[in-house]
Amino acid sequence: MKDRHKTMDRVAILAVMNSVLAKRGRAAISDEAQTTRAANFRSLDFSETALRIEMQIDRELAFDAASMRRIATVKDVIDFFETATRAP
Amino acid sequence: MGGICTENRVSFGPETLNWATLCARAEEALGMADQFTRRRVVAVVEGVESALAALVYGLVHNLDWGVIEAARLSPEVEARFAQSGVSLVDFTTRYEPRPAATAAPKDGQGDHVPGRITVLTSGTTGLLKLIAHSKATLNTFDRVRDLPPNRWFVPYQIGSYAWYQMAMLGLLVAGQDLVACDAGDLAQGFEAALSLGQVTAISSTPTFWRHTLLSVDESLLVSAPIRSISLGGEIVDQAILDRLAGLYPDAAIRHIYASSEAGAAIVVADGRAGFDASLLKRDSGAVTVKIEEGRLFIRSAYGNRDAGGGWIDTGDLVEERDGRVYFCGRADNSMINIGGQKAFSADIEAHLLSHPDVVWAKVTARRAPLVGSLPVASVVLRQPQDTEAAEIMLTRHCDGRLADYAIPRIWSFLEAVPVRASLKS
Repeated sequence: MKDRHKTMDRVAILAVMNSVLAKRGRAAISDEAQTTRAANFRSLDFSETALRIEMQIDRELAFDAASMRRIATVKDVIDFFETATRAP
Repeated sequence: MGGICTENRVSFGPETLNWATLCARAEEALGMADQFTRRRVVAVVEGVESALAALVYGLVHNLDWGVIEAARLSPEVEARFAQSGVSLVDFTTRYEPRPAATAAPKDGQGDHVPGRITVLTSGTTGLLKLIAHSKATLNTFDRVRDLPPNRWFVPYQIGSYAWYQMAMLGLLVAGQDLVACDAGDLAQGFEAALSLGQVTAISSTPTFWRHTLLSVDESLLVSAPIRSISLGGEIVDQAILDRLAGLYPDAAIRHIYASSEAGAAIVVADGRAGFDASLLKRDSGAVTVKIEEGRLFIRSAYGNRDAGGGWIDTGDLVEERDGRVYFCGRADNSMINIGGQKAFSADIEAHLLSHPDVVWAKVTARRAPLVGSLPVASVVLRQPQDTEAAEIMLTRHCDGRLADYAIPRIWSFLEAVPVRASLKS
């Protein structure tokens, strides 16, 4: 049976984001305040990160479209995934 | 015997028989053919020897005929035959038939057509379809000129279109012997046949070869006197053509585009993937092709009877580039929409297969937030590697060569090439 309460903390989420960037030969994120554009973190990277998080917590994430539209910085991305992984 | 090359031979392991002997054995077992002359019959067989014996029996007596392996029967399949007015004749116990028909035709569906051959296909839907062919439409090798005498390894599933094509080659073209394979593991069967020095030619799929190249010792492969290789059933990519040309530099290597509906339509022998776009301009001959809205249409003398000589929508997507037409996959499942950008699995797979460490690759779509879907890849590597390092290696291989959105984002590394009964993957 799947563990419905598996979550991920901010450090683990950032590690996934950095691994996605590293695979493409891009620099690691240095500051959560960076915009996603400055961090070179693109929409495809966001989608890959989401899939990798889903694979780690062994369930699909529920996404709130309105929250997704407000994402501007790396911190917003981490907040977004932290909230999504905590959702029941 | 109705144009059958009775002296052509078939090897079953160390035993070799000719078609006359196989037919005699079937006649001894099944008895007089007139019991079948007013019915559409499919013989239920067990193993390749009884399948070929039953087939030659049906051809010699010009019956409305076909074969199916007992292992493929189920209540659903039997019901499908019954709906189509097909009687099943049990030929499963080696040459000791139980003659009772297991399905009764419904009213108005009991037609019979002498010389019709029922080919079975499950297509991509898994639903068994009965396709009507004949000796003429299945004899697709009659177009190959100057075919030297050969011993063909036959790896295909009994009763499939490709299997009938190979059986007809052995039955109808002088000097073409067959090497039958009953082994559960085809690579093992091929290895055994190579060890006996039996094989000079083979028709198979790219997946079969990828499985074989991982499983069979390369020195044995290279030592085989193979002079004719046909590939088909799947998209034939440049990487596998180059690999086989490297192993067998003196062999004639052809790839053949065929389907159970369109028949064998396009034969390519220039060592390149795809086919020459000049074929699109040809408006006469046994086969004509056209592209409409990115889909390949074929009009073929080798098409099944129901096509009536008209255009057949193959359901395959193609793209013309620099005077060459390349296959991009099936219209129903090969296109991946990534945030509104379109990528084709076949293109991505072909690029992955051009990497020297990649033996096999399959790319599919996976639902993903924000962009709708992402391409994900399953790969078999020549040698096992650390998966993270392999991901980076292959991502870099794609960088700059594929559009950013077409580069697979999730990777899985399999230990062996997955091979289905159809020899596709």
